[in-house]
Amino acid sequence: MERFIADLVKSFESGKVDRREFCKTVALAATVYAAGDAAHAQATRGFRVIGVNHLSYTCPDYTRARDFQINVFGLENAPGHDDGKRANLMFGPEPGKGGTFIVARNPSPTPSNRPPAQAYVDHYCYTLSNWDEARVRAAIKAKGQEISGGRDGSLHVLDPFNYDIQFANIIEENAFRR
Amino acid sequence: MEGFAAQKLNEFETGKISRRGLIESLTLAATTLYATDSAKAQADQTLKAQLINHISYTCPDFKRGADWYSMVFNLDQVGATKRDVALPIGKKGEQPYNVTAKDVPLPHLIIRTPDANAAPPAGGARPKPTPQGVIDHFALTVADFEREKAKAELIALGVKNVRDGGPRSLHMDDVFGYDVQICGLENNALTDG
Repeated sequence: MERFIADLVKSFESGKVDRREFCKTVALAATVYAAGDAAHAQATRGFRVIGVNHLSYTCPDYTRARDFQINVFGLENAPGHDDGKRANLMFGPEPGKGGTFIVARNPSPTPSNRPPAQAYVDHYCYTLSNWDEARVRAAIKAKGQEISGGRDGSLHVLDPFNYDIQFANIIEENAFRR
Repeated sequence: MEGFAAQKLNEFETGKISRRGLIESLTLAATTLYATDSAKAQADQTLKAQLINHISYTCPDFKRGADWYSMVFNLDQVGATKRDVALPIGKKGEQPYNVTAKDVPLPHLIIRTPDANAAPPAGGARPKPTPQGVIDHFALTVADFEREKAKAELIALGVKNVRDGGPRSLHMDDVFGYDVQICGLENNALTDG
């Protein structure tokens, strides 16, 4: 900007632009600069979140949590990442294209030195597509699970460690229809 | 579909849902849930999670929590009640990232505060057992993620305990000291861990 103004002044001084044109050009430059700055500020302010990347679930035996998720909700064990201490359980779009995963893991052998948080995730909810109430309930029963709560279109089940997992359709669980 | 329509109509007539809610429910149902091949669905006993619908986050002050997540991650707040509010990942009418199925809503956070005066479970129902598992953190995917730039932005926003989470992500403490992670698409099930 400074260079631009300097050149403009030079042009004015040499008579290449008159006073009126000079003023108009400066005003225009300021407007363009401000617009660009605002656009830049808008683009860089904060983050654009596009999805949930993963949830990290720590439990006494990750293999039981893993098997539950695969068996009940159809998650897939990411190849090469089940190392005897944890597994990455994939679902949704492809990995790298917006897919989500649950990290099921055993507790760390070294205790955390983090102070305890005042907040916690008390449950999470999966969306199931093509919801059919009878089919969903029958499938849960067929897998040896018990519905622990909820209502039609939005049900809960407890995992092997009594963690509350909800599963629902778009009608009953939708941020814009609360 | 008929049973569902009757149920929703009943809810409308008893004042549980509004006229608009009724219309939206029936329109959505007619165009998505019940528009599938029901015979195929009946035969299929496999459940398949499509996406996270929501993460339910409990904290001492939901307004403070929600404001923090709105401020740091540019998330809108919708459907507030006396004890909770939803923060959708995206704007109304948008599809979840790379999801084409029309019956999969935008994922959202529900930030809530427990009701200290809540009645015990009705009818002698058992209280929920204490879980032995815990979600120790969750991670959000951010578009165009650049770790160092993101780190500078978080620090400028006053976010506490911002730290590297490997080469592709950052961890931070939220306003209640809960561990939250952010990363780009390159952090996924095949690269994490």
